[in-house]
Amino acid sequence: MEFVHPRRINRARRIFMSVAMGALLAGTSGFAIGQDQPYSGTQLTYWGGLIFSEEANQLLSDTITQWGEANGVQTEVVMINQNETVQRVSAAVESGTMPDALDLSLDLLMIMSRQNVFVPLDELYNRVGEAQGGWYGSIDLATDTTEVAGGRTGLPFGASGNLLLRRTDLLEAAGFDSAPGTWEELVAQAEAVNAPPVSGLGLALSNVGDGNVQVSVLQSYGGRIADETGENVTIKSDETRAYLTWLKDAWDRGVFPPGNATWDGAGDNQVYLSGQAAFIANTGSVGIAARNDDPELYEFTAYSALPAGPTGTISPITPQVRAVSATSDNQEAAMALLEHLSQPEFLQEYYKLAIYGPVLQGQAGFEAFNGEDPIHAGLLDLVQKGTAPGYPDVYNSAYADLMANFIVPKMAQRVVIDGWDFDRAMDEAQAAGQAIYDKY
Amino acid sequence: MTDTPVFRRRRQWLTDSRRTHLFAYALVVPVLLLIIGLVAYPFGFAIWVSFTDRVIGSVGNFVGLANFEYLSRSATFGAAVSNTIFLVVVTGVLKLGIGLGLALLVNQQLPGRGLFRSFLMLPWAMPAFVAFLTWRVLYQPVGGGLNLVLTQTGIYPHVIDWLGQRPTAMPSVILASVWRGFPFWFISILAALQSIPKELYEAARVDGANAWQRFWMVTAPGIRQVVLVTALLSSIWTANAFEHVWLLTQGGPSDATMVFPVLAYFGMQTQRIGEAAAVSVSMMPVLLVLLIAVTAVMQRDDER
Repeated sequence: MEFVHPRRINRARRIFMSVAMGALLAGTSGFAIGQDQPYSGTQLTYWGGLIFSEEANQLLSDTITQWGEANGVQTEVVMINQNETVQRVSAAVESGTMPDALDLSLDLLMIMSRQNVFVPLDELYNRVGEAQGGWYGSIDLATDTTEVAGGRTGLPFGASGNLLLRRTDLLEAAGFDSAPGTWEELVAQAEAVNAPPVSGLGLALSNVGDGNVQVSVLQSYGGRIADETGENVTIKSDETRAYLTWLKDAWDRGVFPPGNATWDGAGDNQVYLSGQAAFIANTGSVGIAARNDDPELYEFTAYSALPAGPTGTISPITPQVRAVSATSDNQEAAMALLEHLSQPEFLQEYYKLAIYGPVLQGQAGFEAFNGEDPIHAGLLDLVQKGTAPGYPDVYNSAYADLMANFIVPKMAQRVVIDGWDFDRAMDEAQAAGQAIYDKY
Repeated sequence: MTDTPVFRRRRQWLTDSRRTHLFAYALVVPVLLLIIGLVAYPFGFAIWVSFTDRVIGSVGNFVGLANFEYLSRSATFGAAVSNTIFLVVVTGVLKLGIGLGLALLVNQQLPGRGLFRSFLMLPWAMPAFVAFLTWRVLYQPVGGGLNLVLTQTGIYPHVIDWLGQRPTAMPSVILASVWRGFPFWFISILAALQSIPKELYEAARVDGANAWQRFWMVTAPGIRQVVLVTALLSSIWTANAFEHVWLLTQGGPSDATMVFPVLAYFGMQTQRIGEAAAVSVSMMPVLLVLLIAVTAVMQRDDER
């Protein structure tokens, strides 16, 4: 799978367009809803998740504000850095100051839904789905919180996941015209262009979310975090050994950038944007940054799915959802707002600016996904062909906890940093993982 | 008009001395309430939470020592214990050495010493996150200042991954922490040095004491109390500091720089505040021992 480069869109024009569209969308819906204004005189606080597109953030904020004006609802929109959502939501839950509605990740929704922090949205979920061709199967499966909360508490609005970004200028000069199909091919291509200051393979091995890409590699080698019951950890296996063999081999070839075992969440972004890595796995935010700040790098960047292992490609989709707080005094208005934000008129424009793939079948026909923009085309492909979160493992709270404790990246660090043999590293990861699973 | 018996009894009870005491207690009550509200309650609550399985959004149940038992089986917790102690001790010793040396130097009659003193305070005045992000840039393998200096000057021709490998990760964190923290030691010791009467040095010189003897017999006792208090405060701050490790290494690589506050933060990420509180509470005995030791030494000095 491969995509060509699009035209750059004038940034000022996009900001103007986003604001204008926000006004237009809110105005039209206001006309329809404003005739009876059932929520008139109420207040509503919304926490939006900041993303890597200023224009998309502005469009979301403006649309909510203008929806409020059209419906007589006094809205307050607070845009939150998504790296701080966990802390902000945790503090708000404990202090009883949750907003009426908010954007959040699926991981946080799963954990919080166990505590009945959000209200069920099944009716709204079904209505939105039926109106727009139905939810994608992977999204539908991944966001089902019925088992932990007695109903669906999240309304998906976008999907992200890791794409493989590569430097075509370097790779084509080395004779590689197509994306690597397997992890071995990836290392071979990376090694061919590995010459200081460029490192071939900019994958993180640190204790951050990007480090958990290693879980996908492990699973594509047939390794599993836990068994079918989702209770017994099965990290120690021959399949995990095969993954560690691949990792150690790549490390010994020197294709990883120095410092990748202590990168923060922006480590891979920085090495790629500064021209120090030929490959990275990223959600596409790097592509957006390059489009704005380094058109030449953007021209020489191609996007493809993550490579496959012996058991195929594991490319997890990460849905983003909106939820309504159970402590909200204005739940009906919050649900009406969420429905408004799910309308094609808004999302048509939002997806053009945001770095999200579609969640509803009907959205595949949006202009953003017509193939002109390689990042959006990659995200559409990811939603259609990607795997559910955790797959082939059972995606439950214990799995999310294990991911948050970076057990697999730490196992990788034991092998490449401390030089532990595979058995010792797997034993430690197995014990640490089982201790986590035993808590649930 | 004569006093009634009841009124007389009340007057007898409320003597001048008792009135003074009551007034004193009344003045103390607001501060006491403040301390209970801002120190004792959160402290006690954290200890209580550490004995529960509380997660965000739920009250949780009492689980006894289960959280501590879980932590004791964790290799990461073991690394956090040893790393925190190592970090506190080594940074403390280095900050003492540098702070004392510079304070002794600046205490001399040198031209421009006022400017020099201000200059030395700059690391302390700089916001911590700016300081440690700057150090992170300096440590970067490609384009980082330290590697540039080493390779360009020919001192060491190879790029060093300062933060990404076990032998250099903790020393790099220590160096950055010492750089940020030594001015506090420097200014505290300088203040103590300036409070030592000059006559003591004159008398020692008359008695034939050499420089080392003057330092050991006059300077050291004069700054001893200040050094102890500074050591206590600095140790508590270093043990509780989060930003230096988080911004430089996030506890890695392979837990080489994992410390208590970072581990507690990871606990919070999974909403399990019972466990996160247990991490913080685990650190208390170490600090308590330090606190008691320093207080005991100071009390003994006072009694002499």
